[in-house]
Amino acid sequence: MSDEDVTDLLTRPVIGDMDGERFPSQAPLEGILKNDCRIMRYGAGDIIVREGDYGNSAFLLLEGEVRVTLQDHLPREMLGRASAKHRNIFQTIAQVWTNSRVPEKRDTRRYRGGDIRVDSGGAARVFLQDVPAVLDEYRTAKLLPGQLFGELAALGRVPRTATVFAESEAVLLEIRWQGLRDIRKHDDNFRRTIDANYRENALKVHLSKTPPFSGLDEAALEKVADATLFETFGTFDWNVSYKKLRSAGQAGVANEPAIARQGEYADGLLLIRAGFARVSIKFGNGERTIRYLGAGDQFGLDELYASWREGGDLELRSTLTALGYVDLLRVPASAFEAHVFPNIDPPTNTIDSLVARPVAENALLEWAVEERFINGTKAMLIDLERCVRCDDCVRACAATHGGNPRFVRHGPTYDKWMVANACMHCADPVCMIGCPTGAIHRSEAGGTVVINDDTCIGCATCANSCPYNNIRMVNIRDLAGQAVVDPATQRPIMKATKCDLCASNPGGPACVRACPHDALQRVAFQLDADEDGPGPSAGAV
Amino acid sequence: MSSAVIQRVVLWGLAVALFAYLFVDATMTRQRLGDPAVATGYWLFGLIILLVSYNVRKRLAMIPLIRSAYWLRLHVAGGVLAVAVFWLHTGTIWPNGLYEQVFAILFYLLSLSGLAGYAMQRVFPQALTESGVEVIYERIPAHVADLRARAEAIVLECTGETGSDTLAKHYTNTMSWFFDRPRFFWAHVAFSRRGGSWLRTQREAISRYLDDRERSFFEKFEDLAQLKNRVDMHYAFQSLMKRWLLVHVPLAVAVLALSVWHLLVVNIYAL
Repeated sequence: MSDEDVTDLLTRPVIGDMDGERFPSQAPLEGILKNDCRIMRYGAGDIIVREGDYGNSAFLLLEGEVRVTLQDHLPREMLGRASAKHRNIFQTIAQVWTNSRVPEKRDTRRYRGGDIRVDSGGAARVFLQDVPAVLDEYRTAKLLPGQLFGELAALGRVPRTATVFAESEAVLLEIRWQGLRDIRKHDDNFRRTIDANYRENALKVHLSKTPPFSGLDEAALEKVADATLFETFGTFDWNVSYKKLRSAGQAGVANEPAIARQGEYADGLLLIRAGFARVSIKFGNGERTIRYLGAGDQFGLDELYASWREGGDLELRSTLTALGYVDLLRVPASAFEAHVFPNIDPPTNTIDSLVARPVAENALLEWAVEERFINGTKAMLIDLERCVRCDDCVRACAATHGGNPRFVRHGPTYDKWMVANACMHCADPVCMIGCPTGAIHRSEAGGTVVINDDTCIGCATCANSCPYNNIRMVNIRDLAGQAVVDPATQRPIMKATKCDLCASNPGGPACVRACPHDALQRVAFQLDADEDGPGPSAGAV
Repeated sequence: MSSAVIQRVVLWGLAVALFAYLFVDATMTRQRLGDPAVATGYWLFGLIILLVSYNVRKRLAMIPLIRSAYWLRLHVAGGVLAVAVFWLHTGTIWPNGLYEQVFAILFYLLSLSGLAGYAMQRVFPQALTESGVEVIYERIPAHVADLRARAEAIVLECTGETGSDTLAKHYTNTMSWFFDRPRFFWAHVAFSRRGGSWLRTQREAISRYLDDRERSFFEKFEDLAQLKNRVDMHYAFQSLMKRWLLVHVPLAVAVLALSVWHLLVVNIYAL
């Protein structure tokens, strides 16, 4: 962004209302605007944010008119997502003779026309073909200049809850989550607005569904919600730093942002809203992971309760660090003591039993956390003591996906377990952040992460983001088997491919069906810290 | 009891029950002065078709047929049943007549190759996992080449740093043979430790001529040699686990072809 743009922004509502004096010299408001924001111009019909997408930025409307969909959901095709095309049994059988010997063949006529257009800056966008018809058919609300949207999804790392599109030519300020975080930190009004939005829209509902708040009456819930603080730790693009640390052999507790440290005073209950965190204790000359927390889990309840019951300040008995990006709620001890503890049963102490376990029983958990496999909901887990390395799984995958397998039967191993390089359909899918056309998305059924081949522009953002290298870019071929090239540059056209759990074929993942020795499973990597002995708890597909 | 165990119990129970039925039926047919070979022959042919169809199912992986693991259990139980029915059908272990003997040889070879393959698949994976190395079979040549390049780099570095060519000569004269390609194939297959023993012998032979500086290089070199030995084990085990089907499947096709011919001949000339 140029200096003139920054100067112009400082005269506009919202940004102009901020007090630049409150920003520290190392992170001035002008610097944030220059480095973490950009001005985006959208044409009529351009989709700005899509319902269901993960995004790392919020938008401030500067000029023009944009519309947000209300309770109505725009059809998935309209948003650039294909509805999963399920083959019937005859089409499935027909693959026996329709599968080509040349892999990755596509009917390139599908790509002509479509709902993608490229702006003057070269960025591809999906747009709505007929805005008046959309306005007639679906309920929408108009957003006015000065209104902010998308901040809850950006800060909370949760999917967008609505689609926003430009009704006419519109100019917006896109604020990256880092900028959003810094502005929120230093500008009280901005923070109050964002926090109020969250309190208004989501916090009470979230608390009412979360033990130990679920039994509270409306008044107590209101008071707890008012006292709750919002905090974020780690970086949104954790995959980048994780990859670097991993390759340098430095991934571990020491390089993870600390949320709470063992020995510190327990000043509140920490509720994980998004992301993952590691719970560890000092052991020998290192840190021993005793469990990990994900969305909905909480930290510090035992110590808080003991402090309240016995009086005095009890120290935390374990350390909590962010595994990547963590968005959490901190409910202060005072609110707990006033409204929650008198109304709940004593919490069960879990730390003692976890600490009492032999270190060897923690090894699988340490490995899974270190490799971030805890993120996987459908990881491909291979029992190497059963696997005869026959590659029937690979051949089955290739037969189901036009001749090219969507995974590599290789990957990190621990004991007899191997996690193969196949899409794990992560709980926190960093691959979905930044896709310019929303081609990579979660399917409606089951939440499988899939790629719409029609709207994938081959930019490789998803492949570069995946911390596990489970997305492959492939050259595509036309129906005659010739490589498809960009007419302008003569470079081959690439498409992102990955495991889609055989979404289009009946019968579930072909790899699982094809394994003659039951060695391959698709599992949710939920290592229950309380379970006896090592071995992933396999939520097999 | 896991579902796999239940399936095995059910399948083997069915196999035993079917054989018992065929045995009783054959005995009763014989008592009625009938020829039990007609019924047992058709049962045997049906079993051969069922066993061969497992290979077809593998090639139709995109079609949601029953899971391959179920098929394999059926294949194993059906294969053992087929041997028993074969003996019931022929009434002897070694039949008369050239055609029948060729058929019997192929059938026995097929059964033995099946048993050998099954045994390998039960034993080798665990040994491979315990080796602590995991390598894709097709990448083994590249892996060996990489190990060879790293070993040669260590030898060259040792020569450059110490000015001594002892390790270089040892590599040229002896160890280059080992690093050239996978070695001790059959020794690995037989679970012999000959590869490790050979390396130990070479280490003892050369180490007395190395000084401390050379020895530090040699330790790194030795680590690579041990790793190569484990990759060799992968090569041996994975080769056999992939190649036994090159014997089993053609034999199955031959047995099926002879069965069809036998069926035609019997129906045309004997019935």
